[in-house]
This record gives sequence, C-alpha cells and structure tokens, in this order.
Amino acid sequence: MLVWSEGVVGMGSESLNERGWSPVARACATVAILAYLAAVIVPPLAGPAPASDLANRVLQPLRPLVGALYLGHGYRFFAPNPGPGHTIRWTMTMPDGSTRIGQIPDEALDRPRLLYHRRFMVSEKISALVLPADAPAEVRERAKRDWQPLVKGVATNLLRREGGLSVTLETVEHYLPDPAEVLASGTFADAVTPLGSYAWAEPQP
Amino acid sequence: MTAVRSIPGRRAASRPPAATPPVVPSRGWLADWAAAWSGFWFTPSDPLPLAVIRIATGLILTWSCAVWLLDADAFFGDRGWLRPDQVWRVNDQPWQWSGYFVASSPTMIRVVAGISLVAAILLTIGLATPLAAVVSFLGLVTAANRAPLNVFGLDDTLGMLLVPLVIGPSGARLSVDRLLAGPGRGRGGEPSIRATIALRLLQVHLCVVYLFSGAGKLFGASWWEGTALWGAIANDRYRTLDLRGLAGHPLVVNALTLVTLWWEVSYAALVWPRLTRRLCLALAVLVHLGIGLAMGMMEFGLAMIAANLAFVPASTLSSLLRPFTSRSTDSPDNPPGTPADLP
Repeated sequence: MLVWSEGVVGMGSESLNERGWSPVARACATVAILAYLAAVIVPPLAGPAPASDLANRVLQPLRPLVGALYLGHGYRFFAPNPGPGHTIRWTMTMPDGSTRIGQIPDEALDRPRLLYHRRFMVSEKISALVLPADAPAEVRERAKRDWQPLVKGVATNLLRREGGLSVTLETVEHYLPDPAEVLASGTFADAVTPLGSYAWAEPQP
Repeated sequence: MTAVRSIPGRRAASRPPAATPPVVPSRGWLADWAAAWSGFWFTPSDPLPLAVIRIATGLILTWSCAVWLLDADAFFGDRGWLRPDQVWRVNDQPWQWSGYFVASSPTMIRVVAGISLVAAILLTIGLATPLAAVVSFLGLVTAANRAPLNVFGLDDTLGMLLVPLVIGPSGARLSVDRLLAGPGRGRGGEPSIRATIALRLLQVHLCVVYLFSGAGKLFGASWWEGTALWGAIANDRYRTLDLRGLAGHPLVVNALTLVTLWWEVSYAALVWPRLTRRLCLALAVLVHLGIGLAMGMMEFGLAMIAANLAFVPASTLSSLLRPFTSRSTDSPDNPPGTPADLP
C-alpha cells in the first residue's frame, strides 16, 4: 500500500470501500483531474525560456483548455533575479499648445495601490521588450516591431484620457543600487530609452 | 583477565519483540497505485476549509473587481492600454477568450464588470454560491484575458483559487445559502468527495506554483549569493516599506534570501508530512505578508495565504472558528479529527 507515513496524505485501503461515487464516476473524475493537472503543470514547463521542445509539443493539444481556464502561467516570480523597476514617462502637447507631463505608474495619483500595480505592469511588460540604446541597431529594430504596437495602445489611452494632440514616450529603467551605494548615499542615473512620438491619425471629436 | 564487553544487538535480541505495524498484503503495484489515487482524491472530507477559502477569495476578488471598475475604459475599452486587435501579441489567441471582445462599448464594459463585482460579493457571502462561483471565475478570466498588460501574480492566484470553488461545495458552510436552508433541510457540511477533489486540486496546484517559482530562482546568481532580497528592497517602484537600513546587515539579507529560496524549492515536498507542514505554512504566511507589506502587493500576499489554507485541516479551522459558529447553524457536523479531515 502506498501510504508512506501515517497521516501524510490521509489515505488508506479502507477508502476504496467507503460510500461515495461509483467506479464509473471515479474513472470520469480521474480523466478530468488528469486533464486539469496537465493543464496546470505543462505551461510552466513550456515557458518562459529556456524550455524544451517536448514540453512545447505537449502543450499544443492543451492550449484550448489552458486558455479557457486561464492557466498559461510560468510562475517565475522574481526569477531568475529581481531586476530594476521601470516607468514610462510621457510629455503631451495639448490643444491649447501647452505641455503636460506624467508617468506610468504615478505613485501620487494611482491609488489605491492595486490600481498602481495594474498600471505598473504596463511599464514593466513593455520595458521588458525594449532593448537598451547600446544594443545592435538591427536587433533593436526587430524588437521594436514587437513593442511599438503596444506603445501605440499606451499613447492612444493617454491621449484619450488627457485630451491631448500628441504624446512623446520614453521608458525609464530605475537604477538598482547595491548596499554599498546606498550606504554612501550617492545619486544614481536612470537609463532612458525613447519610445517615439504619437499623434491622432485623424481629428478627434 | 578476560575483558567482557556487551555485543550490540545481543541484549536487544533477548527482549520481547517490539510491536511492528500490521503488514498490509500487497495487491500488486498497479492496484496499490489505484488504491492510493482513489484514497487521495475520493475520500470524502469536510467542506469547511473550502468555505473559509471561499470567503477569503471572495473578499479579494470583490476588491479586485472594484479596482478594475475604477478605470474600466482603459483596461477593457477599444482605446485602452491594449487595443483588442493587439491582444494576440501578448496572449494565446483564440484560446484566451474574453467577453470584453464582444462587450466593448463603455456601457457594456460597465455592465460586464458590474456583473463580475456582484458575483464576487455573492461568492463572499455565499448566496447562490454555485452560480456565483462560476460567474466569478468567468469574470476573472474575461478581465484578465482582455487586459494582459495589467495582470500579475494576483490574477494567476485568483484563477487557481476559483476553479476549486466552482468544483467543490464551497457554499456548504459559513454561507447565506446554509442559513437559508435552515436546520430542517439537513445539517449541511457533510463530508463530500467534491470537497476533497477541490482541495486536492488547490493543494497540488499550489505545490506546482512554488516548485516552478523556486526552480526559476535557481537560475539566478543573486538567489545563490543571498542578495536577491536586496534587489526587492532597493527597487523603489515596488517599495512600500523602506528596509534600506538592511544595507548595513548583509548577513540578514543573506538569511532572508536563502530561507525564502529553500522554503519555496522544498515546499512541494515538505508541506505534506505533518511534521514539517506547520513550519512550511508558517513560512508561507511570513513570506507573503512580507511581500505584501514591503512591496505593496498585499492582495497578492493575502491570496497566496488563502491558497495555503487548503493545507489547514478542517478540525483546526473548526477550533479557530468555534467562537463565531458555536451558536449558529454552522457548528461542526463532524467531531474534529474525523477521517473527513484533509489532508
């Protein structure tokens, strides 16, 4: 019997004979449980990189179930290393010619904290796609094809919300000081990467 | 002179044999596996832990739904953070469906978000619980899949919590449903196989989360060096509690980092034996409260603690809740410590 320690998992041979579901019901439930467990276990095996071809092939038939049950997660919280934080700074030209500035997220305005965090994720996820200015131009251009459509969405949302004509965006990677730098109370330079300027393609009502 | 020395084992052999556990005849490897599987998943258990998890999940989900509504047009609208035709860049389309792909007008967005909020409230109080659990889950998925740029670990965790609440009788205890059923309609909260399946799914899912989260950290030098937590402390975008004073105490940072890493890596193994379970769960509470307080992710921390409740036996929860339930119809139907307890 596969009871490896008393009380470990609360199972025993008596459980086979207790009142409950018929063997057919248990068999059906077993199939459903196995399908669910596969949909839980395979996605983090298949990504994020590095991941095996095998895990990705096994994932393919599970994609409808994984998608429908919102199980496509890698669970790599703060891995492999906690990195620096990012914000997106914006400068907007208003219809009266004035300029308005802001950042995503904005600790002073984005309250409650959960709202701050939901907006913070926009900066974090887009910044993860943007390569630093010292990366080879060809590689940066390829990465731009991935992040620019997302940045257009951010620009659209800001222009809609603020009622502006055009907006210029840049991502800011906040320097992560080590303990010695904190003890020395130094000032640190953040890395800034331009994300482009965006304007309405047609006049807005 | 002859030296006399005792020979280990001789004296023991003269004692009466110690009591040995009864030998269970093996029915074969496959039959043993089938019996173990059946015992693990299909032993009826008290739905009380599921009810407690339902209330905790419902409260966090209600708050999350309210926050979605604060900026609903930005999260779900055509001119929001992410245009609907660009969602495929982040999600696995068409499988990651969302009601907001259809309901994209400002009015319909508020209707759908409002329904999700009402369902979360009903789930919390346990009114029309089975329906509320299904609608709450659909509401979570429809929001998370439409706004993939805005989701994070909290949403993953809420999804993990809601599926078991849909499957199991989460409204059988501590619920308005239970009060409305009244004492004449059965005592409710009887041991249930569905409750077992729901709790087991949550337990296994939680182990998978910690295992992959811990395994991912093993790639990182800062986790091995014991400095990773400094990375969280020094990150001013997350910081809600200033712990930079720890800069002068590197060994404390080392200790906190290494305990976090090895607790997470070993959780899937050590949470099952009773001997180590309490330590595992106590560390889970400390780690998640720490993340919540220091990094401003209290909702995520509380959701993970709620998930860890799946490993707290019904008898323990029953004892803790006795002051609140002893005079209501929710008093325990099973004496604590019965086989209906999990795990």
